[in-house]
Amino acid sequence: MARIHVVTDSGSDLPQAVRDELGIHVVPLSIQFGDDIYRDGVDLSVSDFYARLEGDVMPSTCQPSPADFQQKYLEIAEPGDTVISVHLSSRLSGTYQSAVIASNMVAEDGIKVVAVDTKSASIGIGLVAVAAAQGVKAGLSLDEIMARVNYAIEHMHVFFVVDTLEYLRRNGRIGNAQALLGTLLNIKPILTLQDGVVSPLEKARGKAKAVKRLQELAAEVKAKYPDRELAVGLTHAMVPTEAQVLAEALQRDLGMRENVIIGFIGPTIGVHVGKGTMALLMHPKL
Amino acid sequence: MEAITGSTLRNMLLYAGAVLNQERDRVNSLNVFPVPDGDTGTNMSLTLNAALKEVEKVDSDEINRITAALARGSLMGARGNSGVILSQFFRGFAEGLTEVTDSMTGADLARALEKASQTTYRAVMKPVEGTMLTVGREAAAAAAAAAEENGAVVHVLEAAIKAAAQAVAESPQFLPVLKEAGVVDAGGQGLLCIFEGFLKGIDGKPAEYVSEPAQVAPEPSRKEGITRIEGVLVNKYCTEFLVLGEGLDADYIRTNLQPKGESMLVVGDEKVVKVHIHTDHPGQVLEFCGALGNLSDIKIDNMQLQNEKYTEAHNHDFFGNVVEFPNRPSGEKKGVGVVAVAPGRGLAEIFMSLGVDYVVMGGQTMNPSTEDLLNAVESVNADAVIILPNNKNVIFSANQVRELSSKQVGVVSTRSVPQGITAMMYFEPDEPLEYNLEVMDQHKREVKTGEITYAVRATVAGDLHIDEKDIIGLTDGKIAVVGQSVADVAHRLIETMVDEDSSVISLYYGENQAAEEAEALYQELSEKYPHCEVEVHNGGQPLYYYIISVE
Repeated sequence: MARIHVVTDSGSDLPQAVRDELGIHVVPLSIQFGDDIYRDGVDLSVSDFYARLEGDVMPSTCQPSPADFQQKYLEIAEPGDTVISVHLSSRLSGTYQSAVIASNMVAEDGIKVVAVDTKSASIGIGLVAVAAAQGVKAGLSLDEIMARVNYAIEHMHVFFVVDTLEYLRRNGRIGNAQALLGTLLNIKPILTLQDGVVSPLEKARGKAKAVKRLQELAAEVKAKYPDRELAVGLTHAMVPTEAQVLAEALQRDLGMRENVIIGFIGPTIGVHVGKGTMALLMHPKL
Repeated sequence: MEAITGSTLRNMLLYAGAVLNQERDRVNSLNVFPVPDGDTGTNMSLTLNAALKEVEKVDSDEINRITAALARGSLMGARGNSGVILSQFFRGFAEGLTEVTDSMTGADLARALEKASQTTYRAVMKPVEGTMLTVGREAAAAAAAAAEENGAVVHVLEAAIKAAAQAVAESPQFLPVLKEAGVVDAGGQGLLCIFEGFLKGIDGKPAEYVSEPAQVAPEPSRKEGITRIEGVLVNKYCTEFLVLGEGLDADYIRTNLQPKGESMLVVGDEKVVKVHIHTDHPGQVLEFCGALGNLSDIKIDNMQLQNEKYTEAHNHDFFGNVVEFPNRPSGEKKGVGVVAVAPGRGLAEIFMSLGVDYVVMGGQTMNPSTEDLLNAVESVNADAVIILPNNKNVIFSANQVRELSSKQVGVVSTRSVPQGITAMMYFEPDEPLEYNLEVMDQHKREVKTGEITYAVRATVAGDLHIDEKDIIGLTDGKIAVVGQSVADVAHRLIETMVDEDSSVISLYYGENQAAEEAEALYQELSEKYPHCEVEVHNGGQPLYYYIISVE
């Protein structure tokens, strides 16, 4: 019987437990420190990565090649199967492009790949992958699953706080966020993704205020969909305590103990945002 | 009917400028707060001087043309709240004389004073009695009554002065703060000085002033270092002295000194002549006058150096420093621009880093004029501009710019630097002006402001007894803490400001505060308030050891 598989990339920051439970496959991007090339999550751990990020060599990321995707699709799928392949915003990375090319390559093997541009990053991709995988688990048709996937993408709310804009700036991922100034003061920018591009949302004086503001923003989203169950993801770059405090506050305020996924911001995203970042992503479920 | 001519009116105005200039420090000392901000006299004097410069440019003696120039000049030159009210006073004064050309009667003067008073009352949203407003109104009422009985200008003016002096003396009865501080209202006193100058201009030495009004224009305000002078200054030595002797002839002195400089003022009688001149040859000036009598009270200031010192300390010229401010819009047009007033270099840099397009140096004692703000607004490449006054005494001038600018101008009434910084946190250049004004205004009070300075005189504020030179801490403009050391006052002041909801304490230290001490205070506060993030920045402001924000 034909099956539906879910593939994502290492930019999704999904915890291993969630991936295992829902059978979500991950294709790693590679991280390059000078001449050293690592595959995210395969031969580079999160803590090693952030330790090296503080060093002199500025890392960069490299999208998986179409061949990497082809290999993964062929590995998991039989002829007649379908793969839903959900990826980083096409305006931030070429990963989606590689997946699209690979989907044409495996078409002749009888494997149908639906490549999805989530227009998101970090757990935003993860939440879309989760929506797809839960649909698969519930035995829904491809159309029904894709309706959920697209709904999640269209209704994704993205908020993230960085300690410094430096990483976004030097990787050229800042979009119109350069309008965000204030480097002389301890100002924490709250950013979002708009049409798949980093965009400034607000500014807060100090981390504590920024985190408090995240809570308020979450409550605003909750109020916007009073009758809906929300899928919520929270990821952080080496600030587990702050993330835990925020997660508890969210669960308390929003009454959603069951569905807050907490993850690490791995190297793929970490290169661009730096240590100390916290990201809150949420969407109402269809 | 003893009416006066336009040339006499000029003379009255010049004398008013001279008297106000002379009394400036005394008016400054009447500041209710014992903080070193006492700037009412300076502001009124600078405003009147700006007006007189405009008057000088009028090439006829038609009264309505002179007063129109007076109104226009004072409007552009208005500094501080008292300056703005004064400019409104002159505006009304001019309106009252619109139809008067060759000769002004006592009734004309009474009508002008009445109109002037009405205009000042209309200009302020909540008129307070016991201020310049009351003094102007009482003077106008007395002038009107006097004009009924005798139409001579001198008679009307004398009545006005008498009533004004009484209103000034009674001002503490209206305002408990004045009574507590043991002073009369500074703005009212300033207005009284102007009236007294008017009278002197009528019966003083008319010939002397009427003949060469351009040279006797009192503009020694330049030596205050507030007037910005770019490039090399011509006639840079401000030279002042007295000549003591017998049979002195002021006219003779004036004629001989005239070629040696500008901004000359020579006044006196046979025994004493006061000389004020801006010159490049102070030696020649002294040499000449020394031959006529004994020189005394000699004072020579290099205005160029004063100006440079001022420039260095307060940094007018750093805007050209593109490297340091890469985020300054390089001619790129913005939806909404921002002009902010900042009292120190460090604070200016912070405002620039927050996206402000143009920083006007000033605040506290150096209130920028309406014209300074207007020029800044015009220089920003945006059709809509927001002004952040960042000082309660600049808000009024900022509002004046709205009427004068061809651009859409909005003012967020920030009363302190921390309020301005907080407002900037919510600034969105791509959103419309109205949106920004609303959001910035709404959030500006989220921050508490503390300021630490010293007392310029002894006073009592509520339960606090303050001696001269005491260190005082203010929160949101009110004296909260008095002590002997800056660090002690800082700690106690911040204790009154921090509560359990506070998360950020910012210290902006002034130009007279050692960086190491600020650093030490930062360390102590970091330990004392573990739930807060503490920041310390070099604000560079004069007079205030610290500006503190808690949010």
